[in-house]
Amino acid sequence: MSDILELLVSAASSGCIYGLVALSYLVMIRPTGIINFAVGEWAAVGLFAAFFLLTNRWLPLPYALALIAAVAFTGLIGWGTQRIAVRPLVEKGAPILGPILALLGMLAIFRESISLIFGPDPHNLPAPFGLRQVSLGPFAGTPRDFFIIGCTAAVFVGVWLFFERTVWGKAFEAVALNRKAAALMGINLRRVTVAAFVGGAAIAGFAGVLYSLTAPRDFLMGLPLAVQGFSALVVGGVGRVEGAILGGMILALAEQLTARYADQIGIPSGMSLGVPFLLMIVFLLARPTGLLRPKEAAA
Amino acid sequence: MTRAAPWLAAAAAMIAVAFLLKDFGYYSDQYRKLMLWVALALGFNFLFGIAGQVAFSHFAFYGIGAYAVVILTFKAGLPLGAAVVLGLALCAVLAIAVGIAATRLEGFYLALATMAFAQLFLVVLTEGGVVTGGAGGIANYRLPALEVGGRRFTLTGPYYTSLIALVLLATFFVFWRLDRSYFGRACRAIRDNPEAAAAMGVDVARTKIVVFTVTSVLAGAAGMAYAFVDNIVNPPVFGLENVFLLLFMVIIGGSGRHAGAVVGAILLYMLPYVLTPLIGHHQALVFGIVMVAAMLFRPDGLVGAYDRLRARYGRGAA
Repeated sequence: MSDILELLVSAASSGCIYGLVALSYLVMIRPTGIINFAVGEWAAVGLFAAFFLLTNRWLPLPYALALIAAVAFTGLIGWGTQRIAVRPLVEKGAPILGPILALLGMLAIFRESISLIFGPDPHNLPAPFGLRQVSLGPFAGTPRDFFIIGCTAAVFVGVWLFFERTVWGKAFEAVALNRKAAALMGINLRRVTVAAFVGGAAIAGFAGVLYSLTAPRDFLMGLPLAVQGFSALVVGGVGRVEGAILGGMILALAEQLTARYADQIGIPSGMSLGVPFLLMIVFLLARPTGLLRPKEAAA
Repeated sequence: MTRAAPWLAAAAAMIAVAFLLKDFGYYSDQYRKLMLWVALALGFNFLFGIAGQVAFSHFAFYGIGAYAVVILTFKAGLPLGAAVVLGLALCAVLAIAVGIAATRLEGFYLALATMAFAQLFLVVLTEGGVVTGGAGGIANYRLPALEVGGRRFTLTGPYYTSLIALVLLATFFVFWRLDRSYFGRACRAIRDNPEAAAAMGVDVARTKIVVFTVTSVLAGAAGMAYAFVDNIVNPPVFGLENVFLLLFMVIIGGSGRHAGAVVGAILLYMLPYVLTPLIGHHQALVFGIVMVAAMLFRPDGLVGAYDRLRARYGRGAA
């Protein structure tokens, strides 16, 4: 019993990271329709920026400040990415595939730049809390797990409030529902796109920072994380903020259950690596809207 | 065929190169791999550039072909000919299954589903135990001797290189003919506007499935040829990285054009030789920059740029 509760905590913490990556996609897909595979690379940028800020010889920042600065830096990278690879194509009226493919090129650029600067070895952030076990009621886990869960909850509440309660959030929704009508109503499409990419990048960078708390990561971490995050998004549904975290949780739970119990029924436990892909295929074919359908436009 | 001459000349030239390189093991090996890349790029160009399907499963089918021929020949003990036929049939069946499922998906969602399929294939290879050899793959096999009319002979060195040249030319021929047929025009019509194509009487779903199957089976055939180049098959070769490279090749060369696929494949395959002395093993950085630049400034690729230059300055201006 305590075994399964422990598994739940660790699944929840990796589910949070998948959920954040899914949220990063969602923030960009909703208003622009662009699926940006470079989110994994943004996560790596956030991680390596935090690593640099924490461990550099000249001005090592305190932990909280370094995290905030790393996330802000990733947001800036997000702005640059959209300025280079998205805006020129959108303004030329290129089909939506154009920016998606250009962003794949950006993915290669980010990854190789990180490996040029930091080398091919895995890095991890210094552990902020040590590795002792703590219990919260019946749930036992490392402080790191609870930190990840807490931070993710805060981000999701923030983004949910943004979409539900602010004019800017409404503008995002309006653009998602009908681009042309939104523009005619005076919403600045260019600004919404910029905000989507900066926000998406910041969220991805934060996910990368949290991701590195669980294990050392190297410059190749981005693409697998991007795939897992997308798989979570497909499971949860592209239309709703809650879908991202729901999909992340389901994916992480399925992965960890397979990793722990599959060999008892004769499947090699390494097959758990295939779980995201299997889920993605099943959901794309059987329920392409994901578990949560987008809200209908109020007529 | 009245216009067989160019094809025969190309075959003769490529085979001549194979024999010229026969004493230079390294270059011979690179020549073989370059030809396989060109074959893959031609197929991917037909799928992506001409038929407009963004599918990331091309290398998975390359891998299915390679693994199938090795496993069927050396684990199941089938004769080589039977293994090749069965392997191609396997590619076809899988491609039809993926293709039918994929007709339900639009645009980039097809890319994601095929990418998930390709990654799933890698997981199966890595976890396949004795059948696939796990992460280390299968090695230590040799191309079995062929028996024709009671005489046994083995294709080695330049003879095997020539076989790859013929595989490449056959692939090119198939795509070239297809492109110039009703089928090719139907593919382009679907790429540009599926509704209009359907209204003109094109069977959109069937065309999509056929195109996916043909390109995937030919990728599988190239994979079979690859299996005896290094005499080892292992998972990393068939991963996502190489599909991205293939995509870059086709876009930088000029998507939708056979010449573009050939130029792009040769260029990106040779570029590391120039780049490695300059920036070490970070050639992907340059590929990424060139890819973004191509998308921004030259969506029709190098071949398109060449056409423009010729239209402006050359005799070809019509």
